[in-house]
Amino acid sequence: MKNHALLRIGSIVSFLVLWWLGSQLSGPEILPGPVAIGRTIIENFVTAGPEEKTAEFHVAVTLARIVFTFSIAMLAGIALGLVMGLRRRVELAVGYLIPIALTIPTLLAVFLCVLWFGYSEAGGLFAVILTVTPFVTVNMLAGTKAIDKELVDMARAFKANRRLLIRKVLIWQLMPYIFAAFRYAFGMTWKIVALAETFGLKYGIGYMFTFWFEQFNMVQVMAWIILFVALMLILEHGVIARVEEKIFAWRPVHAF
Amino acid sequence: MIGLLLLWQVVSLFFLATFLPSPAELLTRVAEIFSNPSAYLIVGKTFERILVGLVLSMLIGAAIGLVMGMRRAVASFFDSWIMVLLTFPAISWAFLSVLWFGISDLAPIFTIVLIVFPYVTMNVWEGTKAMDKELTDMATVFRANRLLLLRKVLIPQLMPYIFSSLRISFALSWKIALVSEAFGAGLGVGRELTYWFQSLRADMMLGWGVSFMVLMVLIDLLVLRRWEQRVFSWRQAAVA
Amino acid sequence: MSLNAVEIESLSKMFPAAGGLSRFTVLESLTLRIERGTFASIVGPSGCGKSTLLNIIAGIEAHDSGQVRIIAQNGTKSAARIGYVFQSPRLLNWLTVEDNIRFALEAQNIGKVSWDERVKKYLDMVGLAGQEHNYPLKLSGGMQQRVAIARALAIEPDILLMDEPFSHLDEITARKMRVDLMHILKHAQPTILFVTHSLREAVFLSEEVYMMSVKPARIFKHLRVDIPRPREPEDPRLFDLEKDLVREFFSVLEKDQQ
Repeated sequence: MKNHALLRIGSIVSFLVLWWLGSQLSGPEILPGPVAIGRTIIENFVTAGPEEKTAEFHVAVTLARIVFTFSIAMLAGIALGLVMGLRRRVELAVGYLIPIALTIPTLLAVFLCVLWFGYSEAGGLFAVILTVTPFVTVNMLAGTKAIDKELVDMARAFKANRRLLIRKVLIWQLMPYIFAAFRYAFGMTWKIVALAETFGLKYGIGYMFTFWFEQFNMVQVMAWIILFVALMLILEHGVIARVEEKIFAWRPVHAF
Repeated sequence: MIGLLLLWQVVSLFFLATFLPSPAELLTRVAEIFSNPSAYLIVGKTFERILVGLVLSMLIGAAIGLVMGMRRAVASFFDSWIMVLLTFPAISWAFLSVLWFGISDLAPIFTIVLIVFPYVTMNVWEGTKAMDKELTDMATVFRANRLLLLRKVLIPQLMPYIFSSLRISFALSWKIALVSEAFGAGLGVGRELTYWFQSLRADMMLGWGVSFMVLMVLIDLLVLRRWEQRVFSWRQAAVA
Repeated sequence: MSLNAVEIESLSKMFPAAGGLSRFTVLESLTLRIERGTFASIVGPSGCGKSTLLNIIAGIEAHDSGQVRIIAQNGTKSAARIGYVFQSPRLLNWLTVEDNIRFALEAQNIGKVSWDERVKKYLDMVGLAGQEHNYPLKLSGGMQQRVAIARALAIEPDILLMDEPFSHLDEITARKMRVDLMHILKHAQPTILFVTHSLREAVFLSEEVYMMSVKPARIFKHLRVDIPRPREPEDPRLFDLEKDLVREFFSVLEKDQQ
């Protein structure tokens, strides 16, 4: 719908204009304008900041941490969710831990892990994995329980072997849940990595938040925040959405 | 469950009580904390911020979500903003609000509102999309005016969505309150956590953290869930 | 060598106690022999265990006592191919129509060389030529069920099980499908075990009609339908047979209730 595309552009433009106006009225200490922020972000990439590291380095460190913790949380969560879904005994044995794990405030988890692992990289990363895995598990558990028994029976009636059953019947039914977990966990991981970097890790975008905050440097704090948000948006809506489209091409659009 | 407690007890023997307290030691810490009257003040302050932030988030979020649902143009205009807001980590607003408002009540409340209201908006917006057009048509045929339509037809249909977002928003709000109080408050549970973190006292962190968690869960189960069940008792009858 | 494709001897099944209900007998000493190439219907009211019987034959449910033997065309017992058409299509919605058929071929370990040919042949047979690349959700209910039929036929089964395959379709589509099924079967003649609660359908489609009653489920009568094919749906002889069957059923049901 042409109108709506225009409205979206209009909203982005009006946002930028409002921002700029606000910055003019309040001054760079309170609300730096979009131009100043943009310039600062670019400068951060070009010139070396504290400890002789450019922005590239911090972004790379943060991304590496995200990829690492996210992968482990997904694998652990999927495995755990599947096992719990397929073996009732396991679900009864450890199921009660899930709501507890989901309720633990991230701040506490980060503080505890950082303290227990002695302010090391492991502590921060472990905190992220610990917090994200239960969300993936819950999703996978729901997916496993939602498997259509009729389709499994059909495959068995046609004497499909285990591999074929998994490949053509089970995995596809779990896909929506895996994907839902993927999107949600990805967003979560970003934010918790940022939190862990703020409090207990060295280098990274979150680390820069704290560094500049302690110097009361508004421009830099905002620059790093905008950089972080922009990266997240590009990855979430650019890459992930595309992959999702392709995988779910067989679904009628409105059944969603 | 018992197995886990036993495991905890055994493991804690290998560590200092301040590093990894045993279950008994943890309970002692909690008792110590709450034997001091200032603890209630601290918890109260944090809870106050959560409540204000939550109520504001619900009002703002529901209002925007409703308008977005009723006017497609408004939806197209605001949906990208909402999407962007959902991407902001709590910590970023925490920092910004402290830089703007200093150490005050406003900082944590502002952070809560900015993180939580987009969730409410999305939920309520979804709710408006799922509204039954047949009921609206019926009301129109009976010549209901806009206010009556809103009160008796639209908002009741939105209640399930508003309620589900209430519990999720509450869960989110108290966790964000802790993050934003970490450095943005003079008095608060989040501040306590940071203080004991810096003092390397895991036992005190656990003491404050676990007791606050339990309190929040109790509020969710005893207040929010009960409320939700009462409001939706008419649904129960149909299903049963 | 047996002329039979299916031999069931004294088959019994009980459902275990659950949630306060005691065990009850679903099938009791059921004995049934179906000759190769026959279209046999099993008719009975809902809940009498017809589907359970098919599931046991297909191997997806276990039985408590008795024997089930499926004899392959070439006489050996083990390699018998069983095709199954369920009440709902049970297609894999994320695979295209042709991939759905290939799934069954792969499951049955049928050589890849024959896949393309079989897919084409059986889709043509059910009147869906050209639909190979569509996804199931884009097809109507009747078309989806025809894909399910093509899937079952494509493995060239020794015995074709059909569990009320047209009961979820609207009456007009169902009528057309019954006639189409007759035409399809001119080209391929598997042994068919067709379960239905409709006497009309049983009498129209099959050569042998087995009547099952409830609690316990047993076959209490067997009728031959000697009318040659192709049959007219409005054939008065079919109406007469149907009336006979109805009478039989009511008398048995009354006796069972006493």
